[in-house]
Amino acid sequence: MLETEELKKVFKGKVAVEGASLYLDKGEAVGLLGPNGAGKSTTISMISTLLKPTSGDVRLNGKSVIQNPSEMRRVLGIVPQEIALYPELTAYENLKFFGRIYGLSGKALESAIQQSLELVGLAERQKEVVKTYSGGMKRRINIAAAMMHEPEIIIMDEPTVGIDPQSRSHILEMVRRLNREKGLTVLYTSHYMEEVERLCDRVYIMDHGKIIASGTKEELKNILSNEETIWIELNRPNEAFFQELKSFDGTRKAFETEQGIKLILPKGSRVLGKIFQASERHRVQIVNVNVQTPSLEDVFLHLTGRKLRD
Amino acid sequence: MYAFLKKDILVLVRNRTELAVLLAMPFLLIAILGFALSGLLSGNSEALSMEVAIVQEDDEQQGLTRFAEALEKSEMPAAEKRRLREAAEATSPATLLQEILKGESLSSLVKVHEMDAAAAKRALEQEEIVATLTIPEDFTFQTLQKMLLDAGDGSELQLMISDQAATQAEVFQSILDEIVRSLNFESAIFRIGVEAGAEETQPQFGGVESISAAEPISSFQYYTIGMAVMFALFVSGIISSMAYMEKKQFVFQRILLSNHHSFIYLTGKAISAAVIALCQFLILFFFSSLIFRAFELTDLSFWPGMLLIAASLAVCVGALAAFLTSLMMRFNNDTITTVFSGIVVTIFAFLGGSFTPTDNLPVFIQQLGGWTPNGASLQAFLIWAQTQEIGLLWEPLSHVLLVAIALLILSLLIFPGKGEA
Ligand SMILES: Nc1ncnc2c1ncn2[C@@H]1O[C@H](COP(=O)(O)OP(=O)(O)OP(=O)(O)O)[C@@H](O)[C@H]1O
Ligand SMILES: [Mg+2]
Repeated sequence: MLETEELKKVFKGKVAVEGASLYLDKGEAVGLLGPNGAGKSTTISMISTLLKPTSGDVRLNGKSVIQNPSEMRRVLGIVPQEIALYPELTAYENLKFFGRIYGLSGKALESAIQQSLELVGLAERQKEVVKTYSGGMKRRINIAAAMMHEPEIIIMDEPTVGIDPQSRSHILEMVRRLNREKGLTVLYTSHYMEEVERLCDRVYIMDHGKIIASGTKEELKNILSNEETIWIELNRPNEAFFQELKSFDGTRKAFETEQGIKLILPKGSRVLGKIFQASERHRVQIVNVNVQTPSLEDVFLHLTGRKLRD
Repeated sequence: MYAFLKKDILVLVRNRTELAVLLAMPFLLIAILGFALSGLLSGNSEALSMEVAIVQEDDEQQGLTRFAEALEKSEMPAAEKRRLREAAEATSPATLLQEILKGESLSSLVKVHEMDAAAAKRALEQEEIVATLTIPEDFTFQTLQKMLLDAGDGSELQLMISDQAATQAEVFQSILDEIVRSLNFESAIFRIGVEAGAEETQPQFGGVESISAAEPISSFQYYTIGMAVMFALFVSGIISSMAYMEKKQFVFQRILLSNHHSFIYLTGKAISAAVIALCQFLILFFFSSLIFRAFELTDLSFWPGMLLIAASLAVCVGALAAFLTSLMMRFNNDTITTVFSGIVVTIFAFLGGSFTPTDNLPVFIQQLGGWTPNGASLQAFLIWAQTQEIGLLWEPLSHVLLVAIALLILSLLIFPGKGEA
């Protein structure tokens, strides 16, 4: 029902998004992944008609929305990356205002407010001023505000950033229900791979303003199907050891973290013996070795050379 | 629109600092300036020293004699009669009055000349003196009767003040009030009847329409007006910085997403600012009248004119808010608002005469001040407070409204198109 075609945005000579083409079918939940500055928020702003693309097009049910944004604005709910609420007002007053500007009034307004509050599980605390809320509660009201006019498509820009695990799983569960039970179409942006794995059917991966991969989760993992990941846990990092593993024949990628080393190799490489020999030479103590099938996170790593969260 | 207004007012009411700026600060300044400068509007005391005439129509000696005769006729014990006669001679009110006026404590401020009625009238017309105090015939007798025997109606001093030196005349009047009050203690023995000398003699002056004379403005009145017009400007600053917060926190984008054109948003800001400025005006004037007795709250013919001026200023404040909001949206930066509230308002306040009347400043500054929204409406307020003639308001109010229209047009021109929003 919604598609973009070769979207491009240039800010003062700096390209933020280039050639972004994506689509959402009715009732789908789609993930948009990318490291900081990849251009996710910019893409969302263009889809939501807040930002005019430098070139390219956004279509809703086949009709371009760039010249005629009102239909898009009616069916779209946006959960911005920032907490877009009045901190001085209560949750109730915030929702009332946002409902009013969508033309709701009287009973319809009141029931929309209560439904949205119910949805995010904050009905009891609606009379409290938003600035006294916890980060997680603010995020939840931020979502409730986007639901006031019963949108058909909801676009969420990192709705769980920086909050406690409990609020996170509450939000995740809620989005899942909205998608599965109410048939809401969802575009979900996140830094957390596991959220996207749990929630989304299809995934787009963005980096440096471009969509570098797309498909269902399985399709994406197949990118790495003839590779395997070896995860070596060490008691402490050792640079020389890492350099030696990196120089192994067939090592496609190697990453070093605080806890250990990750190697991506062709499937069936028999390197475990060599790894242990090297550890002897460098006097490194291996705590644990694990051969894994690739996860989305690995796909991401493979494609962008970066971890999702820096 | 109502939703926008309600939300803006709610947000403002929950913001203590901003409320303090809009209401507490001006009120405090009215109190401080009003007390500190009461009667001293033109500043230094040199300008305040004044020459006044006393016209003595009362024959004090004869008054005392008549009082003694009246006393003899009454049916009182002789001792009591003697006591009262002595009291009368010791406290003869006319003498007391003259002694105080000519006394040392007032000598730097008031210079008293004794004249006859005709000479005093001439001197007043020639602006040699600022006021004439007439001690009427029979003053001594009537006053003593009232004071010591509680008989008759007492007497009334006649004060004629010049309209060319309103401030001094007003100061003189308040000095007299003070003297009379202390002489009267609790009972009203004599009063001052004030007549504006100008009213009758005006035509001979060649029709100089000096509004500053008819009804002098008290310091509380002046500063209530001065502070109200100055702090109304802060409403524009506060509303536009609220708009900046809305943009920064993405709520502005949410409003756009609800399919409201950004011009509607801008109009909403203007209306909010205007309504808030009007409320601010009502609150300040109400409390200033209640607590400092700046204006007569029950004078029903007085307030409609004040409201008209306040409404014009409010419209201009709204336009100014829209203008600042536009600038800020255009440059995506709220320095403009900070500079406005921090510097521009202060400059405007001085130019417009919120702190001191601009009469003594160079003419071009006065003219410049007359084109600031606050300066123009301050003039309108003063004119109305003194003359209550609606026709005289047109000129200053036209300045206020022209500035408002110019600001509105500018803000529409400046406001960024959708692409950059
Ligand atoms: N208004 C703007 N003016 C100039 N550059 C901008 C503007 N908005 C975004 N950019 C730039 O465009 C690029 C993409 O930014 P964007 O916010 O879309 O990234 P993102 O993927 O949402 O990142 P994050 O995960 O940190 O939210 C960044 O390099 C950013 O600096
Ligand atoms: Mg972003």
